[in-house]
Amino acid sequence: MSGPASPPVVPGEVVLEHASRTFSPYGDRTRTLKEFAFGRRREAGLPPVRALDDVSLHVRPGDTVGIVGRNGAGKSSTLRVLAGIVPLQEGRVACGGRVVSLLELGAGFGREFTGRENVYLTGALHGLSRAQIDERLEAIIAFSELREFIDMPIRTYSSGMLVRLGFAITAQLDADVLLIDEVLAVGDEAFQRKCMRRISERIAAGTTLLIVSHSPLAIERICGRVLVLESGRVIFDGPTPQGLLEYHRLLGEGEPVIERVQPTGTRPGLVEALEIRDGSGRRRQLFHSGDPIRVLMRLRDRIPEGAPALVLAIRDRFGRPVFATQTRPQPSQGGAWMVFEIPRLALLGGDYDLVVGGYPEIDRLTGFSVAEEPDAEGVVDLRGRWSVQELIEVAS
Amino acid sequence: MLRYRFLFEQLVRRELRARYKGSALGLLWYLVNPLLLMAVYGLIFGVFIRSAPTSEHDYLLFLFVGLIVWLFFSQALLAAASALTEQVALVSRVRFPRVAIPTSVVTVQMITFCALLLLVLPVTAAVRGILGTPLLLLVPLVVCLYAFVLGVCLMASITHAYFRDVQPILSALLLPWFFLTPIYFVPEKAPGVAGSAVARTFLEWVNPIAPFIRALRAVVYGGVFPTAGELAYVAIAAVVALTAGQLLFRRLEGELAVIL
Repeated sequence: MSGPASPPVVPGEVVLEHASRTFSPYGDRTRTLKEFAFGRRREAGLPPVRALDDVSLHVRPGDTVGIVGRNGAGKSSTLRVLAGIVPLQEGRVACGGRVVSLLELGAGFGREFTGRENVYLTGALHGLSRAQIDERLEAIIAFSELREFIDMPIRTYSSGMLVRLGFAITAQLDADVLLIDEVLAVGDEAFQRKCMRRISERIAAGTTLLIVSHSPLAIERICGRVLVLESGRVIFDGPTPQGLLEYHRLLGEGEPVIERVQPTGTRPGLVEALEIRDGSGRRRQLFHSGDPIRVLMRLRDRIPEGAPALVLAIRDRFGRPVFATQTRPQPSQGGAWMVFEIPRLALLGGDYDLVVGGYPEIDRLTGFSVAEEPDAEGVVDLRGRWSVQELIEVAS
Repeated sequence: MLRYRFLFEQLVRRELRARYKGSALGLLWYLVNPLLLMAVYGLIFGVFIRSAPTSEHDYLLFLFVGLIVWLFFSQALLAAASALTEQVALVSRVRFPRVAIPTSVVTVQMITFCALLLLVLPVTAAVRGILGTPLLLLVPLVVCLYAFVLGVCLMASITHAYFRDVQPILSALLLPWFFLTPIYFVPEKAPGVAGSAVARTFLEWVNPIAPFIRALRAVVYGGVFPTAGELAYVAIAAVVALTAGQLLFRRLEGELAVIL
């Protein structure tokens, strides 16, 4: 994995020089020999996506940098390039010292291995020797709070336990550069606080931090510097308050990015266009909790008898379904705009994906954001009233 | 690479553990499986098909020595081909030398091969009296075999990541390939083949695994030195396959996280 000669860096320093990387919009996945040998793949024709477009970045040791931008702006690609997982096509990248990314909690765990064995395996993946892991083992077990389970195979662990073990290992790797994609939604709240404390300790100890997040609150809390990406380019690089303003301006004004999703089957998609509008009919991407929303979907011209159901789903930033509904389009509706009206958006601050398509395929995908509210956290907006009342006795 | 020796050891252990997880026989399955196969092949070629075209006195031993080489080759190839695509999470999220994945898979099969070899050796030593200077060639031959299989497996695993047909093609090829490999017969004694120089060349030299089988069988079963031609072939094939495998792997591994 050696690219062109990397610029010299000190531990904790991160440098990107004129970095560019494009991806095929459909990924390069599942090519078969047939497609390779007998001409183009059927989806050919769309230009490649520039995930990083001439990005230059210099991060000094100990800096805390938040990377924000709309969906598909190149945030995660930047992290993956810095982590050395995806190579650049042009330009140079260098990260000084040990680079640890929290993209990888538990990646590589052997299910039949015990917790303890997985500590050694994960340490080895990060280039640690047995002796170096021996030194850290006690701290890892203590941090994970899994002492009673540490000699059981991890297939018996719950997903929360796996993430705890994963974070405990990562936390003890003494990273010079720490890469985080999305703020941790790890285990219970107490453990999350512990993770944040540990990250703060590392920052205090001089670790460089680069964090991708959709949550302005988290960025504001952790980062001294913000990088705003748009279409693979850095459009702002500076202090956090200005950076977040820039980000909000981008979300409020910009044309929403509608992605055409890779068709998973051979049928043409059911939905050919997708728009999100606000109550007054303007196209928007940033909303407030309680706003009215109208989702507009143009159906394709010919809808056969027995066409699949039209599904509309909202997912949170981890891809978890938040809401889904469906309707069955009739042949007479070919070419028409279907509208789904949400009178009151009952979601709290964060980024969401909106996907639509003829079940089970996804034809179109877009993202929208909901501004953070000062008085509530979570996903669903159930804000009510607090009050003091006389207890009303209920007859049993 | 030294820095990652410990990683390699851990991956081999994980691979060993993951197969036959939670089963009663556990690691023993690594031996039971090939032993069972060998018993069946022994029954077919040693008993049912009595006209096996050899004049070997200890036909079963003759068969087994060739068979364990073949089993190593074929099992390693199949396992290595899908090794990278089975480790998507690891490859797309962690930076480490990707070559460690197919190498650990091949090494696990190598451990099985060595265990089987150690089972067969005392028997051939007792029955055939093979203890002599040719046995000194055993270790170099096994090293060459490992290098050759590893090289071929590196090519198979990296090309399968790009073209998902590689593994199915291999599994379709391996059975006919087995029957064309001089495991249960000797080409110079096989009727219809012995007279044809083209057929003999094909069976003995074009099939790259054949010289390995013949050389190892000369040492382990025959107690004699392999021919100079076989020794040269084995050494060159090992170097060529390993070099080509590494070059190809290094060329293509950069995009693995994108492809998978």
